[in-house]
Amino acid sequence: MYKRIASNRRRTTFIIILFVMFIAALGFAIGYYIDYRYGVSQEYSILLMVFALIIAIIASFGSYFYSDKIVLGLTGAAPLSREENPRVYYMAEGLSIAAGIPMPKVFVIEEQGMNAFATGRNPGNAVVVLTRGIINNLDDEELKGVIAHELSHIKNYDILLGTIIVILVGMVTIISNIMFRSFIFGGRGRSSSSNKNAGGGIFSLVFMILGLVLIALSPLIAMYIRFAVSRQREYLADSNGALITRYPAGLANALKKISMYSEVRTANNATEHIFIASPFGKNTKVAFSGLFNSHPPIEERIKRLQEMSLGIGVKSEAEIALEAQKNNEIKQEEIS
Amino acid sequence: MLAAILVPIIVVIVIIVIILLAGVGIYNGIVTMRNRIDNAWSQIDVQLRKRYDLIPNLVETVKGYAAHEKETLEKVIAARGLGMQAQTVEDSAKASNMITGTLKTLFAVAEQYPNLKADQHFTKMMEELQGIESNIAYARQFYNDTVLSYNTRIQTFPGNIFAGWFKFIAKQYFEIEEPEARGPVKVQF
Repeated sequence: MYKRIASNRRRTTFIIILFVMFIAALGFAIGYYIDYRYGVSQEYSILLMVFALIIAIIASFGSYFYSDKIVLGLTGAAPLSREENPRVYYMAEGLSIAAGIPMPKVFVIEEQGMNAFATGRNPGNAVVVLTRGIINNLDDEELKGVIAHELSHIKNYDILLGTIIVILVGMVTIISNIMFRSFIFGGRGRSSSSNKNAGGGIFSLVFMILGLVLIALSPLIAMYIRFAVSRQREYLADSNGALITRYPAGLANALKKISMYSEVRTANNATEHIFIASPFGKNTKVAFSGLFNSHPPIEERIKRLQEMSLGIGVKSEAEIALEAQKNNEIKQEEIS
Repeated sequence: MLAAILVPIIVVIVIIVIILLAGVGIYNGIVTMRNRIDNAWSQIDVQLRKRYDLIPNLVETVKGYAAHEKETLEKVIAARGLGMQAQTVEDSAKASNMITGTLKTLFAVAEQYPNLKADQHFTKMMEELQGIESNIAYARQFYNDTVLSYNTRIQTFPGNIFAGWFKFIAKQYFEIEEPEARGPVKVQF
């Protein structure tokens, strides 16, 4: 446990250094091009590199302190009060006592898909986020399993690494998008207006190459995320969570239900890995999804939890389907 | 010639330093674990105190509807007093079990008074009490887990050697007596 905390801190530092270096190199490359293109002294490359370095460092510090808020904003989560939902509130309170961590804040995403994640930089500043769907469709033991899973992510600082990755990868993606677009639109504009300013073509060409390099790097970065947020981590959070509730079947049954409908519309490539189950559901349209799954196959997780539970309390597929149907009927009644 | 003398000396010194450092590491590890137990205990204590605070209110409310159930009420008060005086983990656990037991009797008694059951104040306190009871169970679980890893460390090699030298004593578990007391008090309305 304590080794994993140290390892998560180390990885976080490593990925931040990587990010700062990457942005600085980018600044240097652009500056170098400007120097070369306009024949100015070599100052621009250094200037831009320092500028990029400062921005990257500020961004890193900012993401350390504010990434949780950004993630909450990105996914559209809102705080859940004790008065509004005492059931979930007391569950989270009790389980965090059992886990031996301060009680995290509880947030809710107003979506019907069943999913959950945790974010924050340490157990003192952590948030557990649940979708409305997961709160409504799971019974007490199942929801306890899910919350305990998220609490164990909090306890061993998986949340720090996961959340910072969201922000840094998001920024790299945005930069690569800007470069790619500035090439496409910039190129189009120039070709239609005139050919007098031919130099701009080279400028956008370099941007294009840089953009392409960034785009080419993105899958690599994504792959790194998949390794950093390794499958082992989810298995460990599953078993640590089961240790908190002392009821592995709860989480096993929960995962069975979740696997039927886990889509979260506000999730994207940068936030995918922090969820308990893939927020794209089973019919994921992301390229290479089979190769680069951030989550271990849910069937395997269920199987391991069921083995842990020795079969006690495990619900069969038929029971799960029946309960899902009941929940749907209740929903229909509420609508009509 | 000089090297022939120095090399073994340096090797011996290095080995001694390594052993000392390992010893310091183990000692600090045990102390850290012992401190964690104190922290875990304070979690139980917080919940127990919440219950102590709630009981007088509860008793007063019940008195208003069922004054002649004096015996039951006194038992609850007595168990609370015992808990507040408890010095050791064992005594606290015993008193806590007693409180849980006497409260159960109290709720059984309350069942016979429809007016009491309809009292909003009473209902709210019952709910709160249920929450505290389950939090006590969770806190006990965390405490016992912490004690388990500490006790295992000081009873197995090499922790047992340090336990002998520095007088590390195995800690008591927060135990519950009757198997039926393992769950929170079930209250039916």
